[in-house]
Amino acid sequence: MTAAWTPVALARDLPRLGVMPVCVDGIDVALWRSASGRLAAWADRCPHRGMRLSHGFVRGEALSCIYHGWSYGASGSCLRIPAHPDLEPPEAIRVPVHRATENNGVIWVALGDQDNTPPALTGLVPLRSVTVQARAEVIRSASGLAIGADGIARGHLASIAVAVLMQALPEGATVLHVLAEPADPAALIAASRAVEALRRAAESKGAA
Amino acid sequence: MSGDPILDEWYPVALVSQLGPLGRDTRLLGQPIRVYWGTDHQPQVSDANGRALPVTCRYGHVWTCPGTPSRPLFDIPEADQPGRRLVDVGVVRVKCSPLRAVENFLDIAHFPFVHTDILGAEPHTEVGRYDVQIRDEVDEVWATKVQFYQPQAAKSAAGGITTEYMYRVPAPTVAVLYKTCPPRPGEWDVITLFVQPLEQDLCEVWPWMALFDDTTSLTDLIHFQQTIFVQDRSILENQLPRLLPLDPGMEIPTRADMTSIAYRRWLKRRGYSFGAQLVAA
Amino acid sequence: MILYDYILSPDCYKIRLLAALTGQRLTLQAVDYHPGGEHRSAAFRMLNPAGTIPVLQDGALILTESAAILTYVAAMSGPDWLGEDSPQMRGQVAQWLAFAHRLSASIGKARSHDMLQQPADINACRRAGVACLQELESALTEQRLMGFGYLAGARPTLADIACFPHAMLAPDGGISTDPYPAIRLWTRSLRALPGFIEMPGIHRLHELKPEPIGTAGQD
Ligand SMILES: N[C@H](CCC(=O)N[C@@H](CS)C(=O)NCC(=O)O)C(=O)O
Ligand code: FES
Ligand SMILES: [Fe+2]
Repeated sequence: MTAAWTPVALARDLPRLGVMPVCVDGIDVALWRSASGRLAAWADRCPHRGMRLSHGFVRGEALSCIYHGWSYGASGSCLRIPAHPDLEPPEAIRVPVHRATENNGVIWVALGDQDNTPPALTGLVPLRSVTVQARAEVIRSASGLAIGADGIARGHLASIAVAVLMQALPEGATVLHVLAEPADPAALIAASRAVEALRRAAESKGAA
Repeated sequence: MSGDPILDEWYPVALVSQLGPLGRDTRLLGQPIRVYWGTDHQPQVSDANGRALPVTCRYGHVWTCPGTPSRPLFDIPEADQPGRRLVDVGVVRVKCSPLRAVENFLDIAHFPFVHTDILGAEPHTEVGRYDVQIRDEVDEVWATKVQFYQPQAAKSAAGGITTEYMYRVPAPTVAVLYKTCPPRPGEWDVITLFVQPLEQDLCEVWPWMALFDDTTSLTDLIHFQQTIFVQDRSILENQLPRLLPLDPGMEIPTRADMTSIAYRRWLKRRGYSFGAQLVAA
Repeated sequence: MILYDYILSPDCYKIRLLAALTGQRLTLQAVDYHPGGEHRSAAFRMLNPAGTIPVLQDGALILTESAAILTYVAAMSGPDWLGEDSPQMRGQVAQWLAFAHRLSASIGKARSHDMLQQPADINACRRAGVACLQELESALTEQRLMGFGYLAGARPTLADIACFPHAMLAPDGGISTDPYPAIRLWTRSLRALPGFIEMPGIHRLHELKPEPIGTAGQD
């Protein structure tokens, strides 16, 4: 089965040794980056007692669960069970792994197999990710952004050219991942404030 | 008896010492109840229809039973032992299954990661073999000979020691632990978790203690226990699924989880399903 | 220096945290806030008529607002934390010390409602808490665009210490922090500071310690 790529974060917001929760097609995903910079997107649930792995911690190339410290390596298989330091964890203990890739400063996740690559967004710098309590259509109509052939919303915010990637969350919320043309900090700050204004406009429109 | 294994249990619903003149409106097993002082100056409990429910006051708490009690409230003989300090720790509400709260209390493997430098610390993470039984004669789960290295086992502990524990589940939403008592070798400190199930995925937890400790102030003892429990709270609110799976398959236990395995099996055998998930999803 | 303290209070924790970061010794006097309600007692009101914690007592000086206590502890033992590099920085520190009260009144209240059953208009508290987090997120985003990692500049100050605890503990009151990447990175930097101490609900960064090697369990 092939699945679509979902934009889940700006690469800059996930440093090495970082882990964060994201949501892809209603599925909870723990997104993390190892000490060497390797990106991974896993089911956000520890196979042991169901704790969210996005609350865990990264040491070297492994993600550990905060509850009992079980650690999992690149393939999702369990490497270590601290309660039984001498035990080689059985092969069967593994976390479901999804595809993750990083492209022009954006992190994308796909739940199924995926041969193609996410759309390119060259010449832009990351601005910010903002969660809006409104559906994508409402945000589009509040923003005046135009949807291009690649399915990406583009336009201007505070006179800065931007591209906006939309990630649908359950219950009608949407995350906007905003990239902007390179500009000085003052101009980017103005664009960041315009994103906030867009959020407020879309939320009041959605509520009306 | 009503014959319903869930309704016929005793549940903690208030601290006697904290029950004010206005009483307490709360919930039990998804239904509203009211705890208040009766005309005889004894705590009383009534359900939404004004029906009086059975009441027992013991271990600092008001206990009630929405059905017909299948047996008297469990006994903790240490509560009457001279020289112990009885500590009402107060209530903490947690958005989790009442059964997950009990199971977490029976678990030691999380100490180094959740109660770091207090009840455990890396590299002392190993959980050795211990004994677990479902004691049919009393219908309780017991774990004994549980040993663990602890940096600060109690408020009164000066440094790291290997602590020995016994765990006991006398009722589906109650866990009692007995642990080595630093100032009094040969005796056991008693720490309990009394859980009031509000909904299948919401509970109020009332820790209570009977300790040998003549030096620590009461407030410091309360705060030590609140620290430990609130460290667990963010774990309990983030376990999936929200209900405790009683059938194997959803989760992967190891030898360190023998108490939890026995607890789940015992719940299933008794048909205790409030807060539980019976079929692997 | 005596701090009248409650282990679960974010406003007390910020004082303990700053003291740990600056090396200021505190004598902690535990107040039975819950379940005892000792802060409402006649004796406690002799110390602080408002009946709130934290309270700091140093000789004849008694301070009852966490912003003032932070300022005093920093002035005594870590003046860099006052953030007095420039008029702008001083203004920003004062701004965030005042903002922290909005965090207490929204996120803090939602948390004591959800956790300790204290009365509150929970929906109003959560709405106000979300608005606070959105403002904090935007401010931290702007700081990053200027190349700064902290609320009042390139280094941490009282501004960060005052806002950090409630921002971290928002989920305790049913307010998600998942939507805020800038807050996540900022709290992470604060948790990595040398001398950082935790409170119940704020776990330490286990990644700062190496994975134990070989067989554990032995001394
Ligand atoms: N004066 C404020 C008060 C902080 C605050 O609200 N503290 C809470 C405990 S976390 C309190 O004392 N509440 C009084 C009450 O609940 O009656 C400060 O220092 O920031
Ligand atoms: S739940 Fe993850 S290690 Fe136990
Ligand atoms: Fe625990």
